[in-house]
Amino acid sequence: MANRKVLVFNNEVCTGCRSCVVGCSLYHDGECGKVVSRVAVVRNERFGESFVVGCDGCTDAPCVAVCPTGACAMDVTAGIAKINADKCIGCKECAMVCPFGAINMHYKTGKAFKCDLCEGREQGPVCADWCPSGAITYQNVEVAFKIKRREKLTEKLQAAKIGEEV
Amino acid sequence: MYGWAGQRLRVNLSNGEITKEPLSYEYRRKWMGGRGFNSEVIYNEQPANIDPFDPEARVCFGVGPMSGTAAPSTGRVTVSAKSPLSGGHGDANMGGHWGAEVKYAGYDQIVVQGRAKKPVYLWIDDDKVEIRDASHLWGKYPREADQMIKEELGDEDIHIMLIGPAGENMVRFACCFNDVWRAAGRTGTGGVIGSKNLKGIATRGSGTVKIADPKKMMDVCDGLRQKMKTDVMKEGLYEYGSLVLINVANRDGWFPWKNFQEGAHPLANNMSGETHAATVLKHREGCFACPICCGRFTQIKEGKYAGEEFGGPEYEHAVPTGPRCGILEDANDIWHNARLTNDYGMDGIECGGTIAAAMEWYEKGLITTKETGGLELEWGNEEVVETLIRMIGKREGFGNILAEGADRAADKLGLGEKGHYYTITTRGLTLPGDDPRGLGFGYGLSFAVGTRGGCDHLRSLCCMELSGALYPGLNTKLLGDERANRPVTTVGKPYMVYYEENQKTTTDCLNVCCFTTHWSYAVQTQDQVDYLNATTGLDFTEEEFQEVGERVYNLERAYWNRLMSGAREDTVPERFLKEPMPQGVDYQTNVGATFPLNDMLKKYYRYRDWDPKTGFASAKKLKALGLENVAKDLEPLRAKYLSEAEKKKKKWYC
Repeated sequence: MANRKVLVFNNEVCTGCRSCVVGCSLYHDGECGKVVSRVAVVRNERFGESFVVGCDGCTDAPCVAVCPTGACAMDVTAGIAKINADKCIGCKECAMVCPFGAINMHYKTGKAFKCDLCEGREQGPVCADWCPSGAITYQNVEVAFKIKRREKLTEKLQAAKIGEEV
Repeated sequence: MYGWAGQRLRVNLSNGEITKEPLSYEYRRKWMGGRGFNSEVIYNEQPANIDPFDPEARVCFGVGPMSGTAAPSTGRVTVSAKSPLSGGHGDANMGGHWGAEVKYAGYDQIVVQGRAKKPVYLWIDDDKVEIRDASHLWGKYPREADQMIKEELGDEDIHIMLIGPAGENMVRFACCFNDVWRAAGRTGTGGVIGSKNLKGIATRGSGTVKIADPKKMMDVCDGLRQKMKTDVMKEGLYEYGSLVLINVANRDGWFPWKNFQEGAHPLANNMSGETHAATVLKHREGCFACPICCGRFTQIKEGKYAGEEFGGPEYEHAVPTGPRCGILEDANDIWHNARLTNDYGMDGIECGGTIAAAMEWYEKGLITTKETGGLELEWGNEEVVETLIRMIGKREGFGNILAEGADRAADKLGLGEKGHYYTITTRGLTLPGDDPRGLGFGYGLSFAVGTRGGCDHLRSLCCMELSGALYPGLNTKLLGDERANRPVTTVGKPYMVYYEENQKTTTDCLNVCCFTTHWSYAVQTQDQVDYLNATTGLDFTEEEFQEVGERVYNLERAYWNRLMSGAREDTVPERFLKEPMPQGVDYQTNVGATFPLNDMLKKYYRYRDWDPKTGFASAKKLKALGLENVAKDLEPLRAKYLSEAEKKKKKWYC
């Protein structure tokens, strides 16, 4: 568990540039487009808000639980649910049950596809690798949590103006 | 098909006809895409002297072979039309996500002609194209109309190109937007769109861009994105946006204080990127597939405009309606003005430049409150500038005169040569906020010879002279002379401008953002050739890549030549040639400098193979570029341009 790495999404800093989207689609499908990306960016231009959606790597993954054919199964080593396209019947159950909307149906095959942490890519998942703002990072689980905890403390200290030089 | 979508969408709003034309291999190879396709249509499909507001005048939206791909920054769109402001070739370029969406919908170019009987907007849902009523959207700001269209079509994820009220009122420097805030600012394409009763183009694209060699493409893009991560110029742009230039401009003496009367001001830091980020920055914004993310989203926190939110500002957008008009005390006023030009849908540069010219006319006594309708155009009077922006947007009172653009307004007011002295324009288009006396002589040269009304920062964008020193060896590699690194020298500049213009033009044809290639030099020509070939499966060489740019550039130039605009019009505003830069506050580099244009022009013509007398391209050059028809068009005009009658005409615009 301690060595397991996960994608961490920080929407506070997402610029909505979709670098992740084009990288993901190119790496996996050899073409570029939003419809074949495993990670999605939703935007509200009017208020300048952007939000990145990807697989959060649930331990007790609902997509695995609902899959009727066993196509969607947990890869214990990688720590993420993966879909075997050969077994997938395209019933969309997993896509519907995912709390984040991180599963999509492929426009060519009609089968479900999702993040596989860019299996085999040396530099780790391309979305985190290409993200210019740090909205997507690929981190060791424990380290990620540590940073998270530290963040809150830092915020608190800043709010109380402790540690600032007089 | 790889790279390109291979299709042009043509919409005739007069009869509602919608057609799709395939784009042949030869055509794509010759014109590449985006700006190339557009310039070809603008030149070949309409008479040179057509009224820009004529229903038959074309307005084109072009994307390139790289649009929507994984190469860095592929979200640009080029919007082209005959400019209502300069009267010549006009185009502008915007970021955002709409460009990629158009490509995903399956089009390389949208050409609109005709005039609808009532306000309409276009709804492109992949291959389904529909002309829809926009009566309820007419008069709305882009930020309002965007939301209304999304609600109407029931999809928040679509991307929309829109014009604002200024475009509807055919203000000569109205612009168009996509994603609400990303503007194709210059040359007044918004007015042309408005004259067609077209409010906007909503687009949903659910296709993909096919890549010929995905593995190679992945390798090239991986490499470039790693390089961008640590790029020094990227860092500044990401942290502070293009406003990072404010303190640089002030330090080096090219800050356009009071219509370029001075080159620096002690209060400049009030509106610097550093101050902006510390005070009003809400989010950083990224255009499609961009590793830089220089876009800003601003929320004003204090003062009478507290609570206002908008996308922006940019350096060039904020400076004209700010310091160029003498406003610098309270940055919130500047942010507010920038937002206001966005709301009305006007080019901030032109709007601020025109108001600044009017302020100088007022200062010099060329106009009085009689002409201005009681407005006292004192430098730095924030309320007057705010009022004028609104009046221009609505074409009311004195604003109606200024809505014609600085040079036309000078003529309407009958100010003569004196009035034109204070309009900081070339070929009728206002210069952006970069003073060539301090910024760089290459920049200045490109103001004089640029093809969209002479005066523009995005024609050559020869930042090599500014940031070249940060990329050791770059100038030597490209230009053979490292000394060109220094901004305030003429050494190497003519060739630099020639090279960069061609390079930038092809970059616009690919529709890739020039901040990856001309501000940051992380992506160089060979890299562009690499990702272009990996995407399209073709075999472009660096020379061919440059040649496409040269071809398009010469075609655009010929548009001006057909209108009797050539060498005599290749100049910069007289202020830069005659007035030495005054002693500033904390800059020394360029005090006393004027701009040495003539030293560079002749050499530049030689590189271009343009006749120094007429400024027309030689027939040999045009033929070598495959522009035989252009050579034929220009042949009878060469002698005419040199005739006494033409010499006497002073052409501030066409």
